[in-house]
Amino acid sequence: MRELVTVQVGEFANFVGSHFWNFQDELIGLAADPLGDAVFKNQHLNMDVLYRSGETQQGVLTYTPRLVSVGFKGGLGSVSARGTLYNDDVDTPSDTVTWRGSVATHYTEPCKKNLFLQSLSEEEQENLVDGKNSGRGEIEDKDIIECLESDVTFWTDFSKVHYHPQSLYQFVGSWVDAQEFDNYGIGKESFSWSLQGEDIDERLRFFVEECDHIQGFQFIVDDSGGFSAVAGDFLESVADEYSNTPVLLYSVRSPSSSNVLRENKKQIISRDLHDAISFARLSSFCQLYVPVGLPSLNRSKAATHLCIDDQKPYHCSAVYAAALHSIGLPFRMEAQGPTTDSCYVSGAVHVNDMVRMLAGQGRQNMVAILDVAMPAPTLLEKHLGQSLLGSLQPLTPEVKEDAEDLLALESMTAHGVFESGGDRASVSELKDQISAAYEGETVRPMLCHLSAAQCPLPVPLPFPSIFGNLVGQHGQLLATPISGVSTRGSLDVYSIPMAARLRSSNAVLPFIERRLTNLLRHGVQGSSATPLLRSWGFGREELEDMGESLSKMVLALNPHSLSSSDSD
Amino acid sequence: MSLRVLNPNAEVLNKSAALHMNINAAKGLQDVLKSNLGPKGTIKMLVGGAGDIKLTKDGNTLLKEMQIQNPTAIMIARTAVAQDDTSGDGTTSTVIFIGELMKQSERYIDEGMHPRVLVDGFEIAKRATLQFLDKFKTPIVVGDEPDREILKMVARTTLRTKLYEALADQLTDIVVNAVLCIRKPEEAIDLFMVEIMHMRHKFDVDTRLVEGLVLDHGSRHPDMKRRAENCYILTSNVSLEYDKSEINAGFFYSNAEQREAMVAAERRQVDERVQKIIELKNKVCAGTDKNFVVINQKGIDPPSLDLLAREGIIALRRAKRRNMERLVLACGGEAVNSVENLTPDCLGWAGLVYEHVLGEEKYTFVENVKNPHSCTILIKGPNDHTIAQIKDAVRDGLRAVKNTIEDESVVMGAGSFEVAARQYLVNEVKKTVQGRAQLGVEAFADALLVVPKTLAENSGLDTQDVLIALKGAHDRGNVVGLSQHTGEPIDPQMEGIFDNYSVKRQIINSGPVIASQLLLVDEVIRAGRNMRKPT
Ligand SMILES: Nc1ncnc2c1ncn2[C@@H]1O[C@H](COP(=O)(O)OP(=O)(O)O)[C@@H](O)[C@H]1O
Ligand SMILES: [Mg+2]
Repeated sequence: MRELVTVQVGEFANFVGSHFWNFQDELIGLAADPLGDAVFKNQHLNMDVLYRSGETQQGVLTYTPRLVSVGFKGGLGSVSARGTLYNDDVDTPSDTVTWRGSVATHYTEPCKKNLFLQSLSEEEQENLVDGKNSGRGEIEDKDIIECLESDVTFWTDFSKVHYHPQSLYQFVGSWVDAQEFDNYGIGKESFSWSLQGEDIDERLRFFVEECDHIQGFQFIVDDSGGFSAVAGDFLESVADEYSNTPVLLYSVRSPSSSNVLRENKKQIISRDLHDAISFARLSSFCQLYVPVGLPSLNRSKAATHLCIDDQKPYHCSAVYAAALHSIGLPFRMEAQGPTTDSCYVSGAVHVNDMVRMLAGQGRQNMVAILDVAMPAPTLLEKHLGQSLLGSLQPLTPEVKEDAEDLLALESMTAHGVFESGGDRASVSELKDQISAAYEGETVRPMLCHLSAAQCPLPVPLPFPSIFGNLVGQHGQLLATPISGVSTRGSLDVYSIPMAARLRSSNAVLPFIERRLTNLLRHGVQGSSATPLLRSWGFGREELEDMGESLSKMVLALNPHSLSSSDSD
Repeated sequence: MSLRVLNPNAEVLNKSAALHMNINAAKGLQDVLKSNLGPKGTIKMLVGGAGDIKLTKDGNTLLKEMQIQNPTAIMIARTAVAQDDTSGDGTTSTVIFIGELMKQSERYIDEGMHPRVLVDGFEIAKRATLQFLDKFKTPIVVGDEPDREILKMVARTTLRTKLYEALADQLTDIVVNAVLCIRKPEEAIDLFMVEIMHMRHKFDVDTRLVEGLVLDHGSRHPDMKRRAENCYILTSNVSLEYDKSEINAGFFYSNAEQREAMVAAERRQVDERVQKIIELKNKVCAGTDKNFVVINQKGIDPPSLDLLAREGIIALRRAKRRNMERLVLACGGEAVNSVENLTPDCLGWAGLVYEHVLGEEKYTFVENVKNPHSCTILIKGPNDHTIAQIKDAVRDGLRAVKNTIEDESVVMGAGSFEVAARQYLVNEVKKTVQGRAQLGVEAFADALLVVPKTLAENSGLDTQDVLIALKGAHDRGNVVGLSQHTGEPIDPQMEGIFDNYSVKRQIINSGPVIASQLLLVDEVIRAGRNMRKPT
């Protein structure tokens, strides 16, 4: 077992993370449930990769994510940053042991717990009282779901996970409100890594120190605004301190982040530069960079069987989290020796293997596209795995649709997929079918690594109702829609077969090129944005360096490019 | 300027409205902070929306916790926080001084005076006050052995504004000793060499100075000793874990044997590194009762831990970067980046190394060191907010001692300086000034009195009586401050109430700069709330 430490930076990243950890929490629960589905009992996924075992001062054992999350103060809603696991006694405002003079107490309006969080704490109380779950309290599941559909403000509103007290870092003292925290410059101005970064570094060290053999870091970064600068400094510090440990980075954005003010030319330039700089900075401190976040998820092909409200981060983050979950399965498959695969999992790799496979050979392209099939279709005898390949659709923005790339490198994970008989396909069957499907393609990638598992994606109660009416109870696609409903949620759909893929392909060129072009145009050649960039802390030289490294990326993927912009 | 950057959708106000908005913002901030000031101030407990608590008597912390939206207030808050960053103290004073400068100005402006005239007066008064401060300050001789008593007085003064007396007094010795421990002649004092460590302990409020280092982790092997005496300390930054970095890219195609062979080769390299450490251990420890401790910044994996444990070596991994430096300063030796050419000279020494366990938290104490130049202040408290508040106070105390040594002087406190400077401005400086700028000098002088006035107010005293008594005493040539208990004039020197020179200097410097900017504003940008997107 080799540990993976997760880092989430920024609002939307924490939304994605919240769903991600809900899945893990659900898997842990299902594995322990005596009445549960057998497919969840033998997952052969080692949760210790993502979770740590601990103990409170009272000797109570704990099991919590290896996670550092960075967010705005106030971004946790009604949940305390320390969590409840380690709280021997709840802090009472009466005990001021350091001051004998007068005390003035100021209360912030208490955040009310929503129905879901109320039900969680009720459940916990009951467990405390009779040691066993004596059935749910007053709150009905369907009311919880309705409540979450109508109002989620904070990522904690739908989180069912206990986090370690070291996990949730909140940053204070910026006097900027969240709306204004929308570009690289403001992030840099409000958060000084040299002054405030140590606390974050220390939290990360807490989780790394206890790892016997860390395999990598998984960063989820909301790079749409000021957090991009915070993440950039954080990554720089990680690259410096843990130089041998690979970093896999997902930059995630909600669809609503793309409709920020773009009223005038200035704002547009500022946006474009933000995107360029953010990409250049973040990609320079990781080994694999995966952009995630479509301008409209709902209208995308990836959402064919989903009903997404693009305005709801709660919705979109659920899909992205599911894809991240699938991609990460090989990191914790219990390898049964190098050659023999078990019948539950196959294709175990570590982060480092994955990174080397996708970014460490051939063109050394480190920007990968994330594709997903949610739900993954049933394997049909005659199509073999073709329908599965065809149903994989990008969650990465600005990619070429029909790129033919003979040098592409891919890593794909499918899990919980059904075969035509209605049973779950065995791992070997799944692998065979997909391999065969690849054989049948006209344009094949140079290499595709396949991982497979039996265990599907579980759908926890607080998962949003985003499934279309063609999605069955176990995520199988139905021939006829279920009448009378438009969307289905966690009460109707228990699990989802999934496939997800990381693809290192020249289809990502438009994404990189746009950033390069903007950086060159406004940052290096033009001077109208110089004051803006200077206020963000970037001088010409640094921008030129960034431009150079982006040019290299483009050049590697398309040796004929850049002849035009090189000439002037 | 920066206000614009903060909020591009702002509404522009006309000049007079703008001015009054600035004045009100400054007064508003003053109102929030003034009850904090001094040993009789009010501590503030902030209870967040999720029930979490923050406890502070520090203007700096309070400002950072506040949701300030008014751009003027933000500007003042930034100045005050910058004050704390550079000199470590005086935030509350800065805010109330700026507020008072604005308040005093308002009177004259309402009478039709142009702000420009006041600003000119401020400038004259500021320069005169700074000169006066240089005469007023009490120089101290630092030399090789600084006067411990005076350091203690400064530390005590500052600590008693943050913690109740007994606790403050306990910390006084600790912070003074800590700074003297890390101080090296002819070098700037680097307070980072004092580690501040905390433990949550249900029934315990206690702080102590550990001459040596406390690390917040322990060894990761069940067979390693939890306590050892007479220890050689190896401080290293060497990877003692096997990582696959050297395996080539095409390994997916290579066969299993090839892979195994590569794994074995890499493992061998790590083992060799461990072996070098073991060799050094044997060289220095064989045949003695001495022990060997490795404190490594990089990882140490279980096979390496096994090898070390078998040799009786205690090993800690992933030590924080800063501790590499601290360890060497505390124990001697040097921090090594490679295990080639290890010699006994690389090693430091500690009389005692032991582990302390609290639930899942482990602490390693490296104590009984010779001639330490790094140390640890260990804070125990029942909950996070108490620990945080003591930590803030400790930082203040450390800064106060450092400032004193670097300033080579201190300033009598309890409002004595402010009254003295005010009398000097009014009695001496004002008459040398031409025309109406005199009024600016006077406004400045009166604004200085906000410090003694607020101190008196916070002590529940009649501010008028106190000020009259103080001014009278000063006019008779006695430098006095106010007693926090009775309001009677007291001699700060006798009472041992001293503030930092550099802190005072910065307050005098930055207050009028900000006030002038706020007075001369042509237009104010008001936050355009209506333009904001709903969340
Ligand atoms: N024992 C005391 N009696 C009267 N005044 C005191 C005493 N101790 C400190 N002061 C005064 O309190 C002021 C500092 O208060 P403090 O709360 O630390 O605010 P600041 O944040 O401005 O440093 C100084 O003016 C100092 O002279
Ligand atoms: Mg102070």
